[in-house]
Amino acid sequence: MALPFWEILHRSKDGPIVEEKQYDLNLFKKAQQLTKKYGIKYDPAKPVDVDGDLADRVYQAGVELFLDLGTYCTTTKRVIKVSEAELKEEIQLLPEAIELGQGPDRVRMAHREVEGPQDAIVIAGIQTAPFSSEEMMFTISKGCAQDRCVDGIWGGILLKIDGKYDVVAGAPSEIFQYRKMVEILRRAVIAAGRPGMIIVNNAPTSIATIALFDEEVGMRRSDIMEVTGMSELKVTYDDLNRTAFALAYGVKMHGAHSATIGGFSGNPEGAAVTAVAGCMQLLAVQKAECFRCGATDSRVKSRVSRAQLWAAGTGIQGLSRNAKLIIDGSIGDHPAAGPGTKQYMYEAAAGFIVSTVMGSHSTGGTRKYVVGEVPNYGTPLESRWMGEVCKGAVGMSRAQAHVLVKYLLDKYENNLKDAPAGQTFEALYDQEKLDPTPEYQRLYDEVKAELRELGLQFRN
Amino acid sequence: MGHEEELLESLKTAIVEIDADRAKDITQQIIAAGIDPRRAITFSIKEAAEIVGQRFDCGEMFLAELVMVGDLLDEVSGIVEKHLPADQVVKKRVIVIATVQGDVHSVGKNLVAVVLRSAGFEVHDMGVDVASATIIQKAKDVKADIIALSSLLTTTMPYQKEVIDDLASMGLRGQFKVILGGGPVTRDYAVKIGADGYGKDAFDAVDEAKKLLA
Repeated sequence: MALPFWEILHRSKDGPIVEEKQYDLNLFKKAQQLTKKYGIKYDPAKPVDVDGDLADRVYQAGVELFLDLGTYCTTTKRVIKVSEAELKEEIQLLPEAIELGQGPDRVRMAHREVEGPQDAIVIAGIQTAPFSSEEMMFTISKGCAQDRCVDGIWGGILLKIDGKYDVVAGAPSEIFQYRKMVEILRRAVIAAGRPGMIIVNNAPTSIATIALFDEEVGMRRSDIMEVTGMSELKVTYDDLNRTAFALAYGVKMHGAHSATIGGFSGNPEGAAVTAVAGCMQLLAVQKAECFRCGATDSRVKSRVSRAQLWAAGTGIQGLSRNAKLIIDGSIGDHPAAGPGTKQYMYEAAAGFIVSTVMGSHSTGGTRKYVVGEVPNYGTPLESRWMGEVCKGAVGMSRAQAHVLVKYLLDKYENNLKDAPAGQTFEALYDQEKLDPTPEYQRLYDEVKAELRELGLQFRN
Repeated sequence: MGHEEELLESLKTAIVEIDADRAKDITQQIIAAGIDPRRAITFSIKEAAEIVGQRFDCGEMFLAELVMVGDLLDEVSGIVEKHLPADQVVKKRVIVIATVQGDVHSVGKNLVAVVLRSAGFEVHDMGVDVASATIIQKAKDVKADIIALSSLLTTTMPYQKEVIDDLASMGLRGQFKVILGGGPVTRDYAVKIGADGYGKDAFDAVDEAKKLLA
């Protein structure tokens, strides 16, 4: 590590004091200035960027943005600055691959090239959504884990402990909830015949995240812990607590940061640049080993609007071409539509195709963007879809991805604000056999055949 | 177009273009020309805020620009109000907004705060991870009309209910309207826990706030 974590902590206490609002405005101005300087222009007619030169400029602008602005620590109201030499060394010292999981379930998560042949690691499961009971969480998670196109699994949320105690964030009940959840996940992957499968999770607080770890019944050093950077280019001490624990315990970190179109990143061009800068923060400040390069849109409750696909995809491409980092895309992880609808599958496919083709893995799980309090709002079939699309898109060209994504956008982009809600696990699955209903399986097969016809090469 | 209309139109344009120096200069010209200062509020400022909101909604303006416009609107309004008799200064309706305890998500809440402000509300943004008692005390201190509560996590939604329950137990429920928002929050949930309103996005929150205070 070129820039020790202790030095980051030191800078978080001694860095320049800046008012948060001023930092946000500086981010906007700088991001817009850099998009002009580097000639970065979003063309809605080209949601998949097939021009590597543009992605290279997004990368250069993102690095410059991070070096110029630094990371804002909201706890200390100070800016953590990193020098160009330090950042370069951090990038150079990172491994090009990490190994995750145990035994036969161990996988190698390597740097992926744009259009590259490297395996795309898929971590699925119903991510951070509520489950009605411990039994239901176990059943659904087992279903997700037993699919061979899935390499790892996320956990969700129990609304009550032992069926009666409410779970509230920031309270001790949260520690019990997350602990219980990870124990259920571990039992589920064992029951699925994949005891060493990767588990990834993140709780809203660092203390609850730390409580997930137990080599016997919880998360292990061979799993991966998520550390998050707040939007945009910010951290709290609670975020840095996770890094401190991961370094002390010896678990690898997956970093997640999203730029916001319409937010302080500004336009899609600014978001692409800020998404790259966010990865630089996750690398240099938060010490992650793999990085989510993401973009959300303040006006859309989905992660696959045309502009989001372009911003995140171009950012990923820039990172993949210019730094041999291990990138996570996961763009299709949160569709607007719900499970059991064709729109869910179209949205997810568009995001996962872009993620994979641009050079990333997808580790963000599956979940309708807004689930509210509705429990069991997902099934193992969405995990299979994520796995099948990501693995099937390996080796696809950007030009082919562009054709497919435009086809998919035509199918869903006018329905993002009024997307079909879909159905819950109970309605979509035979709970005893753990099989989709014939109707849901038919819908799945139809969409799969449709995309196969268009050139997506599913493995089976 | 007469001189008065020209000045008022120029002020509106300067605000929309976030040209602070020009907006303040034109405001002074309006005052010096003896134009009724209330026209600057009812025409230039109001229409500028509406245009900015529309542009944001269709992706032509961004959050940072809304923040800058909000600052500028405050400055221009301040100049105008100095020249109005005290009884003619229209008091802005007051909103206290916070992300509830245990939740550090700020993007959506910030957006709602900025859009509410540009829509003419006096907004007190308390930040994230704010305890019920702190929110209620602030609402009392600033004599808020509305308390707006954001939550992005299923496990922090109970803290929205806690604020409503605390208001009731303190005998304050009737003093404040409460509106909810946030990724997992739905109108059904808002109704279920006894909130007065729900905003599915920033502009919906503005409409809801206006409706509640009509």
